[in-house]
Amino acid sequence: MLNVGRVASRLLVAGVVLAALLGPAAAATSAGSACAATAGQPHAALVVDTGSQTVTYCVQLDAPTVNGLHLIELAGQQYGLSYVFGFGGAAVCSLDGVGSGADDCFGSYPDFWGYWHGNGSGGWTWASAGAGSASIGDGGIDGWSWGTGSDGDTHPAPPSLRFSDVCTDSSPSPSPKPKPKPSPTRKASGATGNAAASPTSSATATKSPKGTHTGSAGSSPTGSAAASDGAQSPEIVHASLAAGQAPSSSSSPAGALIALGAAVALGAGGLFAVRRRRGQGPA
Amino acid sequence: MKIHPAAWIGWATCAGLVAFTTTNPFYLGLLVVVAWFVHAMRPAAGPAARSFRVFAIAALVTMALRTALVFLGTVNAANVAYAALEGARLATLLIVFGTFNAVSDPFGVLRLAPRRFHEPALAAALALSIAPRTVAMVEQVREGQRLRGIGGAGWRALPSLAVPVLATGMDEAVTLAESMDARGHGRGRRSRYRPDRWSVGAAVTLAAAVVAAAAFLAAAFSGAGDLHPSTTPLRWPSVEPALVVAVLLLAVPGVVPADVEAARR
Repeated sequence: MLNVGRVASRLLVAGVVLAALLGPAAAATSAGSACAATAGQPHAALVVDTGSQTVTYCVQLDAPTVNGLHLIELAGQQYGLSYVFGFGGAAVCSLDGVGSGADDCFGSYPDFWGYWHGNGSGGWTWASAGAGSASIGDGGIDGWSWGTGSDGDTHPAPPSLRFSDVCTDSSPSPSPKPKPKPSPTRKASGATGNAAASPTSSATATKSPKGTHTGSAGSSPTGSAAASDGAQSPEIVHASLAAGQAPSSSSSPAGALIALGAAVALGAGGLFAVRRRRGQGPA
Repeated sequence: MKIHPAAWIGWATCAGLVAFTTTNPFYLGLLVVVAWFVHAMRPAAGPAARSFRVFAIAALVTMALRTALVFLGTVNAANVAYAALEGARLATLLIVFGTFNAVSDPFGVLRLAPRRFHEPALAAALALSIAPRTVAMVEQVREGQRLRGIGGAGWRALPSLAVPVLATGMDEAVTLAESMDARGHGRGRRSRYRPDRWSVGAAVTLAAAVVAAAAFLAAAFSGAGDLHPSTTPLRWPSVEPALVVAVLLLAVPGVVPADVEAARR
């Protein structure tokens, strides 16, 4: 039975699907490294969550990889982030004016600066080693959050952020990028508070841009080691009070709906086939 | 109608890679539906066809166990979600494997092995087909017992079930070995009777599966697509439409028409 026309049409459909897939996939791959490529220099993101506000810094690195403490020093040089190190420069006592002095580094205990590594997709993992032995390279993201809790399950994590949220393509430009504050109250249990957050929550994030960046860079002169000498255009890239807003949730409803629709269609098709086969009896 | 066993191996490998690279429940759930769809559209004859259900049950048990392990340690929403997603990944792998078992003929796969590796491949094929054969046997024995009015349920029926199942299994193994010997397996002499044909459907199946796996690997290396949604803080995972299409490409063997192979001649 020769049925070349039908075969050709099926092959054509398959080819179109392949092309449709390969196009976006290639684009997505290149978009991941676009930030670093345009900047030319290696950059890493630093997120400082004081509990009342979150400030992010797109830090230019002076080496292929730096440790977590040097990343803070670089943020101090480039943006005027104030910081205090203690225990011979091995511990972070104070960031952005929050914390204790070097003489009494953990004086606010049980509140202390928790150290997190970003996992690249917005989430955070509790750092298992000290910042001095961590290694952050181009495209890395480090986070510090003020609070109680001695492990990643109990300490409040910084809001969900990715490197690309902090280092946008235009981030080296001197214009600050204020982000709206969706909710002025920070929940104590950020992890469970977001459990029921639906992907439509991005709609609320755009409606009230009242809370712009409240400049805190350099405003707290407590930094004993704060190096603000060579500060190039001190800029807060963005500040927000949100405890974990999904950064790219705008695309998620579409993808989820496509997935759901496809699953329903496949399920219906499979059920139809099974029904028809049972109707015919054992083939 | 038949898709070449090598194409099925490729399909299962690629689908397994997709499941392995992600813990995003949307991709995993869709992959389970796709696997079920392929299984539903390509019914195989014989005892292997039942293996999908067996593996689906095993997958559910695995996921439940993996989640229950959390309750030995710190319990909070983030931990439970993390364990459940890890369990879902394992479960999806099992279901993909079950689909592969249900749609492909294990002895067709065996015939692909190079002669040098024939004996390990034979052992592997027998091992793969043990679970579905045993399930089929249990059903046969129970049906026989019910007909004789012996039937029973629960743990007490187990001994009266186990002996005939084991005995039948032994008989089947001997029969299988004899029949394979008679067909020249294991003697270096290979039967070329009705060799599997490489069809257009097999090529399309393999190409689509490779593209799907490549898309997920690319996403895994570039960090795109939210393959591992954050659980601390717990948030709604986002879904990349291109990767949804990639998962759907794995459904291609379910829609390859029956007449493609015939049309090729």
